[in-house]
Amino acid sequence: MANTQRSYLTCIRNTLEAAMCLQNFPCQEVERHNKPEVELKTSPELLLNPVLICRNEAEKCLIETSINSIRISIKVKQTNELENILTKRFLRFLSMRAEAFQVLRRKPVQGYDISFLVTNYHCEDMHKHKLIDFIVQFMEDIDKEINELKLSVNTRGKLVATEFLKQFL
Amino acid sequence: MSAIEVHQFAQCITCHAWSPDQTMVAFCPNNTEVHIYNKSSQGKWERVHILQKHDQIVSGIDWSARSNKIVTVSHDRNSYVWNQEASEWVPTLVILRLNRAALCVKWSPKENKFAVGSGAKTVCICYYEQDNNWWVSKLIRKKHSSSVTSVAWHPNNILLATTSTDGKCRIFSTFIKGVDSRESLSSSSLDMKFGEQIVQLDLSFSWAFGVKWSPSGNTLAYVGHNSMIYFVDDVGPSPSAQSVAFNGLPLRDVLFVSERMLVGVGFDCKPMVFAADERGIWNFVRLLDQRKLAPSGTKYGSQISEAFGKFYGQSKSTVSNDAVEPSRSHGGVHENCINSIVPLKIVDGTVKRFSSSGLDGKVVVWDLENQPEFSL
Repeated sequence: MANTQRSYLTCIRNTLEAAMCLQNFPCQEVERHNKPEVELKTSPELLLNPVLICRNEAEKCLIETSINSIRISIKVKQTNELENILTKRFLRFLSMRAEAFQVLRRKPVQGYDISFLVTNYHCEDMHKHKLIDFIVQFMEDIDKEINELKLSVNTRGKLVATEFLKQFL
Repeated sequence: MSAIEVHQFAQCITCHAWSPDQTMVAFCPNNTEVHIYNKSSQGKWERVHILQKHDQIVSGIDWSARSNKIVTVSHDRNSYVWNQEASEWVPTLVILRLNRAALCVKWSPKENKFAVGSGAKTVCICYYEQDNNWWVSKLIRKKHSSSVTSVAWHPNNILLATTSTDGKCRIFSTFIKGVDSRESLSSSSLDMKFGEQIVQLDLSFSWAFGVKWSPSGNTLAYVGHNSMIYFVDDVGPSPSAQSVAFNGLPLRDVLFVSERMLVGVGFDCKPMVFAADERGIWNFVRLLDQRKLAPSGTKYGSQISEAFGKFYGQSKSTVSNDAVEPSRSHGGVHENCINSIVPLKIVDGTVKRFSSSGLDGKVVVWDLENQPEFSL
């Protein structure tokens, strides 16, 4: 792994550790409701300043924090058309199965490829450090996965082309 | 190490309180019930009562020391005062007149009133009305611009300090005619009406939590979500404040051990000790739970990441060894955020023993008696 990615992920991990201080907090606007404030954004005093961590223009991570929830949005590196299509397909596949991942958001925030939403209930059920590990591991693996997919598409293309061109020999 | 008892009572505890003789503990296991456990003769803890009346999560419990009454508040906007009659706990509804969740509750030192902080940006001061045989509330309205997260009574039974998510700490007079007598007031606070704001402290840039008075009522402490703790002396027309920044994650609640020592608990899962020196300057002293980190053998073990690994198939099995170091668990007694701290044994105005509970469902009793540095 390149050194820059390492520091990028370490920065995200440290930010998440500091930002993931969540507590149960009932809605101030609607009676008997308890909703993630970062999604509703009805009370500005309950939101903290969002943090944007950029590795470069194509790769960035937005961390928005509120009193009872935190939203992490990730933009994955896409250098060419093929990577673009692969990322879109792959992340759509994951987003459609968001329930299985618990902290995954069904729809990414605009301008990003995939979003996580962690609420105080997740922090009550799961260990905080494991949650952060999961998100960082996810970010680490997603690049690898896209590269692998790209490689297998290319290999397959090469194979198909070879097989196809054999008939003209 | 000073944790002497660790009880895993539930999955997750929102708040807890001890009976006057400290043989029983009441806590909310993160649902609508309040469980009361009793220590049996063999030293085992057994559940003796379940208080069921609320229909949303219980956010605050306080057990009065002299009158043996439990008051509970919940996100369902209601509050009940529980009285023990024979072996049963009988609830009395309190008319809070709130339209949002109640967040915290505290009995006043004389136990003739209690204060409820709420998400409706108000504070309710409740007192017992003999004629109607119920608890009525008087509201302090339009003073807070966000939810009231914590309330604390001054030992004089009149002054009430509150913290709010707008980052401010405020002090009010709660003098109620017919409940409080004029004699208990000092001369300076004679002409205070109910709900009058005495001071507004605007020290924190972020949400404020966990306000407490020192035993004598001379010092006030509260915490901000920006990892700061604030100490205020000479509360009145000319208060003097100190802000202390510390390493680590923010605190949730504090407890004055003595006039010059304080324990704070919060997201770092370990109680922190702060103390004042001869000049009255407050400083961070140390963590109370200094345990050696056990070397964790398994590099990875979270359930979701395992599921994630399965999902990925073989690509997961080849984890490169230059991966970013996974964060370790804290290695303390508590494994998740501690959200309440309650004094247990008080000798000559000094807390010798206290208990803490948190999101990991543990109630931990800490002993300060055999620690020479706590004899301040």
